[in-house]
Amino acid sequence: MTSLKRVLGICLQSARGAIWRGGALSILVLLAGVGLLALSGWFIAAAAAAGLAGTGLVFDVFKPSAGVRALALGRTASRYGERLLTHDATLKALVTLRLRLLQGLMAQPLRRLERARAAAALNRMIADVDALDGVTLRLFLPAVAGAITLVLSVLGLGLFAGWSLAAWVGALYGLGSLIIGRRFGPEALPAARRAERALQAVRARSNDAFAARADLTVYNAIDGQISLIGRASLALGQARMRRDSVERAAQFWVTVMVQTTVAGAMLLGFSSVSNGDLSTPLATLGVLASLALSETVMPLARGISEFGRIADSARRVMDDIPEHQIDPSQKVQAKPMIVPPLDLRRIRIEPLVDTLSLTVEAGEMVLLAGPSGVGKTTVLNVIAGLLPANGGEVCIGGHPLNDYSEEDFRGRLGYLPQRATVMDGTLMDSLRLGAADLSESEAWEVLEAVELTRFAQERDGLQTRLGSRGTALSGGERRRVALARLIAGRPPVILLDEPTEGLDEATATAVLRGIRNYLPQSAILISSHRFCDRALANRVITLR
Amino acid sequence: MNIFDTAKQIAAPQDRPAETVLVAAALVWIGQAALIATVVARGVAESLEPEFVAVAAAALLALGLLRAGAERWASARLTDLAERHVGTLRDAIIEQELTRRASDAPASLASLVSEKLEMLRPAILRYGPARKRAMVVPLVLLVIAFSQSWVAGAILLVAGPLIPVFSALVGMAAQQASARQLDQMSTIGALLSERIGALIDIRLLGAESTVLKDFHEAADDLKSRTMAVLRIAFLTSTALELFAALGVAMMAVYVGFSLLGQLQFGTYGAPLSVWSGVFLLLLAPEFFAPLRDLSAAWHDRAAALAVAAEVVAWNDADAEHVLGGQGNAVKLHDKASIAIHALALRVGESIIRYPDVTVEAGQALAISGGSGAGKTTLLSAIAGLIPAHTGDIRVAGIVLAEETAQSWRTRLGWMPQSPHFVKASVLANVKLAAPEADTAQVEAALKSAGILEQIRRLPHGTNEMLGETGAGLSGGEARRLTLARALLAGADVLLVDEPTADLDEETAAAVRRTLLDLRAQGKLLVIATHDPALMTACDLQISPDPKEAC
Repeated sequence: MTSLKRVLGICLQSARGAIWRGGALSILVLLAGVGLLALSGWFIAAAAAAGLAGTGLVFDVFKPSAGVRALALGRTASRYGERLLTHDATLKALVTLRLRLLQGLMAQPLRRLERARAAAALNRMIADVDALDGVTLRLFLPAVAGAITLVLSVLGLGLFAGWSLAAWVGALYGLGSLIIGRRFGPEALPAARRAERALQAVRARSNDAFAARADLTVYNAIDGQISLIGRASLALGQARMRRDSVERAAQFWVTVMVQTTVAGAMLLGFSSVSNGDLSTPLATLGVLASLALSETVMPLARGISEFGRIADSARRVMDDIPEHQIDPSQKVQAKPMIVPPLDLRRIRIEPLVDTLSLTVEAGEMVLLAGPSGVGKTTVLNVIAGLLPANGGEVCIGGHPLNDYSEEDFRGRLGYLPQRATVMDGTLMDSLRLGAADLSESEAWEVLEAVELTRFAQERDGLQTRLGSRGTALSGGERRRVALARLIAGRPPVILLDEPTEGLDEATATAVLRGIRNYLPQSAILISSHRFCDRALANRVITLR
Repeated sequence: MNIFDTAKQIAAPQDRPAETVLVAAALVWIGQAALIATVVARGVAESLEPEFVAVAAAALLALGLLRAGAERWASARLTDLAERHVGTLRDAIIEQELTRRASDAPASLASLVSEKLEMLRPAILRYGPARKRAMVVPLVLLVIAFSQSWVAGAILLVAGPLIPVFSALVGMAAQQASARQLDQMSTIGALLSERIGALIDIRLLGAESTVLKDFHEAADDLKSRTMAVLRIAFLTSTALELFAALGVAMMAVYVGFSLLGQLQFGTYGAPLSVWSGVFLLLLAPEFFAPLRDLSAAWHDRAAALAVAAEVVAWNDADAEHVLGGQGNAVKLHDKASIAIHALALRVGESIIRYPDVTVEAGQALAISGGSGAGKTTLLSAIAGLIPAHTGDIRVAGIVLAEETAQSWRTRLGWMPQSPHFVKASVLANVKLAAPEADTAQVEAALKSAGILEQIRRLPHGTNEMLGETGAGLSGGEARRLTLARALLAGADVLLVDEPTADLDEETAAAVRRTLLDLRAQGKLLVIATHDPALMTACDLQISPDPKEAC
């Protein structure tokens, strides 16, 4: 519930004016609907009475019939305005939510990021945030607009059709909705949660089955996997049936509430007529108004059913959005700056590295060699602060790693991971990730350093599109784009994990030389199992 | 499988009793309207008894409760129908898909059988009944209106112009809006997928604010384009709203003026009675309600049709099936051997021929050739995953065919080039082929595959969860895990695809040694490779002939 409130807070904040104007219009829509039917009823009954009494010619037909037409047109116009305003406000809120979510995801500790599953994060960003449009459109606005309409209509009914009838309608619709909401709302949440979990299980297990089918077939394990999917599918079906049955029960009681209200309104209103306390036209007005007011309670059942799904999505989304936004300007700048030398003092990382000491001075390039699986990447991760060491100390610029916050690493410690990902966009977009204010001439210098000048010239220059995940590039080109955006920021300390993978030997050497020349003062530590990468290294340290 | 026949059947299975009951429930209103009209008419005539009011109110309530109960019963039936329908489709698709050879897009197929099939439910629950109601209820009310007054009938007819035209108009707008929305979703999905896939890179580069700014601009742009489309879509549904409101207003004005005696046409003989007037006014909103329900459900319908089209496309795709899907398997008892005779395999539009060769237990056969030459294809054929185009493969002395494939596969170990693990622990993945194996046996297999130490170093050892592509393991480690799986399966034939690709020299040598040493235990090895050291170490070597078009 708290996460739902926070989502609502964000929605209301991001489009305050539009939401309130939209809300006001939805009240107008509902009131016009009630007014249209009530006035029509009154008009007909009054006209009939006047007609029977033979006073038809003096009956003022102009005002009521103009009122009926005005209500009909007003309702339509407000409906259009309401839809536009509320949808615009909601879309705006979703943009804000996605931004905050992205920001929250990016602000996670790097170690958690490494383990984060991209598919789950993406699902949150797309499907879960989408479900949140219901917070305003299906929950908040209908509830608030319905409640206000009900209160205003009850006041009107009291004035025209007597307070007993008004109290009856107000009590049944108002209290009835509250009771139905309280009774069924809490049941919708666990059902939605179970359904979502089961759905993810069906997806993951069938994805496994489809992707690993050759292995499963060869090992006769298909039937086992099918029954695993079947179990998740069964759980999904049960959760969905549960959710539907909650909605059905809620809808049943809403209908019962409406029917009871209308029947009661007729009993109260026309009993007063037979007693002579109320005129027939006003009693008709009361009955038809109570009937038209059902429009305010009709969204209730659907809202209850959606409530479960929305609250479940809200919980997942809000888990990733920090409660208080971090204001970067408030951060106290830590004293030391990241500068060479990079100094490892008797680092121990169980169970891979017993003890490792090395120093990389400004302007030096040191190569960490050894077969795969020996722990080269782990050492780089320890230096970048992604993993803790079991012993020893990493010092940068004479200060231990712990003196620096992650903020201090920004742009000062460049790390090219083994599986660097290139994003869609232009070459220039990619380089700007490393240095936001990079000029075009600087960009060309960077490309020259990583041997991408010819590639860029043959395509669209700095505007060359890289394709989703860099699919428009070959493996080697992708690697060099990742290197380019890294060195564009001119970090003084650089860690490169297998930087030349996918490049032929001549290019590999040229790229490393280009980087060295572009950043003559940086301390560079490279992990590589390639022999050709040793050519430019000041020192080679082999891990065993 | 006739359930896959047409998109319409997939999108909207029907339940006649439920739909009929729902239509009847909507028509209950006619009786309720008549009751209210009677009470009002007597009130106007000043002949209303309190007892009559009580009886009428009780009858009104009784009809209302009848309606509520009927609707609940019918929608329970529809829920059951939806559950059966979606469940059957899901089971059938998964089962049939897994007899097919391969899929280009396992992830999108997985999304089809999970969240997309779920989108059929709302269509079954809402669209089906709404459609039936829209077909019957307005028509019945129209007839009743005409029976009271032809002007009243004409008002409904004009205000709710030809229903099909109306629905089509709304449908077009809704479809346009939803297509546009889907389009937008995929764009926002693409934008986000890129950024989320590169979160670590963004973070390491310190480029958060640049990325946020770009995303904000792109998202805002998408938002305004979506609103432009919605503005038009809302206009159409507003037209529907307008007709409904005007219909009620015109009815009220006509009835009012008639009752005043200022209008004296539209009825058949006698002037419009008070009862008829009130009755007609009460029918008017119900005349439009089914149309509005239908337009509200149109979105569900469009989504369901899109899903159904996807199912039909999947069903229509030509797919090759693996051998040995059926039971009644012939057992293979003889010692392992593979004999390839005049074999040609078909891959898409081309044919690959292979030289004849016979491999016995304790021997290793290398299949060499450039990438794309047909090495992996031959491995798949030996595993019975694809049938021979011409010629045959004899395994353990018997031709590999539908009846023998299953039994043959119980003797196989399989080491694919890019292993795909199921999302489960290392232990569960290794035990895939031998669910009964105990921990000691698993560890022995891991040890022979030379990977026990690495697995022990993982944070949770053999209980470490593996992602799809073996997250947490290097390429070489993942491949050795598949070797351990093959060894644990007690396989006497090992099919190995590019075991040393992308490995550093030291690791590659270790993998070569482990593999070739297996010959001493009487295992038969078939290795697809372009590693010269591995090729020469094998006892036999073949390479596929160049591809031919077929």
